[in-house]
Formats: sequence, C-alpha cells, structure tokens
Amino acid sequence: MHDEYTLILITSLACGLAAGFLLHRSDFCVTGMFRDFFLFRDLSMLRVLVLMIVVSMALVHGARALGLIVHYPFPLLGAMSVTNILGGVLFGIGMVLAGGCVVGTLYKMGSGSVLSAVAFGGLLTGSALYAEFHPAWAGLTKQLAIFGSGKTLPQTFGLDHYVLIIPILVFGGWLVLRWARRGQLVMPSHADGYIQPWISAVALAVIGLVSYIVVGMPLGITTSYAKLGATVEQWFAPEHVASLAYFQGKGLNYTPPFGAQPIAGGAGPELDAVAAIQYPLVAGIVLGAFVSALLLRELKLHYRMPVRQYASVLIGGILVGMAARMVPACNVWHLWGGVPILAGQSLLYVVGLIPGTWLGSLVLSKYVVRGPG
Amino acid sequence: MTEQNGHIHKLDICGQICPSCLLIALKEVNTRRDMLLGGGALHIYTDSRQAINTIPGSVHNMGYQTKIVKSEGLYCIEIQKA
Repeated sequence: MHDEYTLILITSLACGLAAGFLLHRSDFCVTGMFRDFFLFRDLSMLRVLVLMIVVSMALVHGARALGLIVHYPFPLLGAMSVTNILGGVLFGIGMVLAGGCVVGTLYKMGSGSVLSAVAFGGLLTGSALYAEFHPAWAGLTKQLAIFGSGKTLPQTFGLDHYVLIIPILVFGGWLVLRWARRGQLVMPSHADGYIQPWISAVALAVIGLVSYIVVGMPLGITTSYAKLGATVEQWFAPEHVASLAYFQGKGLNYTPPFGAQPIAGGAGPELDAVAAIQYPLVAGIVLGAFVSALLLRELKLHYRMPVRQYASVLIGGILVGMAARMVPACNVWHLWGGVPILAGQSLLYVVGLIPGTWLGSLVLSKYVVRGPG
Repeated sequence: MTEQNGHIHKLDICGQICPSCLLIALKEVNTRRDMLLGGGALHIYTDSRQAINTIPGSVHNMGYQTKIVKSEGLYCIEIQKA
C-alpha cells in the first residue's frame, strides 16, 4: 500500500474516533441546533455552532498563513448553483424527520439508537437512488449555475480572501466573547460524563484542521454513503450498477499534502481514495460513540417505539441520502469546512437548509410526535 | 409506554426520535397537571442525553421540581410540584 493511503487511513480513523466520542458526550446534534430554534425558539446550540465556525475560520486561515494548507480552496468544491439551495431545502426536511443528519445518525447509531440505524439504512438507499437521476440533476445544476466559476465568495468577486475573512473573524470573535461573558455558551448538564458543547465545538474545529492539513480537505463522509449503497446494490444488480454514470465517475483527483502522486476516487463500489478517506472516518465516528456510551454504561437497545417514528426516520434518511448527493455534501463538509472559507456552495446550502429545517419541524410536530406512543 | 402506580405515573420514552422526549414530556406534564398539583409524581424514563438536559429546565419553568436518578443505563426524571 502507498504511504499516501496509510497516513490518510490513520488520520481519518483517529479523527473519526475523537469526533464520535465528543459528539456523543456533548450530544452535538447539528439537526437539533437548527430544529430547536424553530420548535422551541432555543438559540443556545446555534451559538455553539457559530463558535465552531468562527474557530474553524481562524484556525484554517492561521494555518494557511503559516503555509500548512496545501489545497485552498479544498478539492471537490464546485461552482455555485441554485441546486445547492434546493438540495439544502430537501436536506433540512430530511434531517429533521430522520432525527439527525449524516453525522448525527452515525454517532447516535454508535451509541445504540435503533431508530438511527434505520435512518442509516435510509441514507444508504437515498444515496444509491440518486445515481438513477444523476445525469438529469447534473444538467440542471449547470443550467442553474450562478456567479461564474468562482468556488469561494472572494474568488467570485475578485477579492483577496483576507479582505472578507478578517472583518468576519473580528465580528464573529466579538459575538462569541459576548456570549461567553454572559454565560450563554454553557448548557445545563444532568447527564453523566457530559462535555460542554462549546468545548467540543473547539475540539471538533481542531480535528477538522488536522484533517485539512494531513488529508488535504476537511471532514466529509457523504460520498462514502453512495459508495456503500452501490456496494450493496452491486450484490443484487451488478450490471445495473456498472451501467450508471454516477458510479463510474472519479470526482476526486488530487495529490495529498504528504503524498508524492495523485490519488483518485468516486462514488462507485471500488476501494479507492474516497474509501480510504471516508470509510475510516465513518467507522471511527460510530466506534467513538460506541466506546463513549459503553464507558457510561448507557448502551442499551430499545425497539418499542411508535411505528410512525420508524416511518419518519426511514423516509427522512432516504431524503437526506438523496439530498446529500444533490447539494452535494452535508452539514459537516459545509458548516465545518466550506463556510469557514466562504465557499459559495456551502453558503447557498445554508440558505436552503434553514427553510428546509423549518418545513421538517412542521411535519415532525404535526405528524410524527403526537404522544407517548 | 405508560404505567400508573398509585400517585406515581410512569412514562417510558426510551429510544424515541429527538425531540420527542421533550415534546411528550411537556404534553404529559400539562395533561397530568391535576395529579401533579394533588401531590402525585410523573416519572419519565429516557436514554436521550439531550432530554436529560432540556426537560428539567423546561419543567422547572412550568413551576415543578425535578430529580434525576440514573440506574441500569437509563435516566429517570422525577417530576412533582415545587
């Protein structure tokens, strides 16, 4: 095996393990951060999300100034399109119905949530289903492209990155310090082994930076869902999988920061660069959360939930799986990685995610959560 | 799953989708208001770490007191009048 792959495998697994542990201990649910604003007018966890974005922005640009970032912007980012917004809307609806986004589902499943395991099945199904209409969606994405070929806002408007980054960092830093002084970043805590979410936010930003420096890009996992879905589908319909254009493409093609030669990968079932980067991360998050729950003696499976909740997480999972390919990518990639560098796709995704979460919250409170069961 | 035992009403919402736990808990507290004000108690069993942190605060704002007991990997939020 090439050294490039060894370093990537080890880094991704370590990042996943640490992230899974922290996500479980802090119940760091990005879906909940947006959803609870609409359901309960609760802003407390959204403040923590802002903290994570501000810290990520400071760390990434500090590292870039020190020459530690090789690829800026990072690989796999594309030009802006209205379809980034449409995908974000669908992702927002789906993640509320699924009870978690792509990463939330992983850490909840790792800590023993049966519903999240069902949502995970939905995610794989939705990701694989996307391949059926990928050519049409890719065509629409080109037709609805906006702001030219720039991948970040500064690129789009021909500005130096720091012209926008520094004022945002100053304002964001002021905002976060204001919340900290007022005690608005500290959550009430009654759960054993609870790690304050603001601590996890800072730690997760550092984990994202480690990935960016060593692997060459921030944390991302959604292509591996399509890859895993394609692997399962291949067992039953190998010829059909081979005939789908989406599973033949190699969207990732880059030279890792500590590598000597380029590596490539895509959503197909092969064990390629995408598998090397994302499979260990997925496994690490699940395992990290599992270890955390096990140490707290909170690992217990519960099956007796209302049927409508099973239906909700399955449908939500399928929607998130499809949307994660349509956007493309998910909360982790865009909020921890893209927004801190002002990536256009990521900002448009957030524009869609907010109304999507609102719609999902309406559906959830009206049709899914109706009583004790 | 619900269970009545004297003046204690037990509600098991383990494993449920977020944020069911908080919504169901608030609904139950409202539904069983008379029982709680008459000296009864509502025991909610949950494994949701989010619910363990959010239910006590919300219920406290409604004028009740809570106590949290952990046993066999589950949390029981005991709610009664303040």
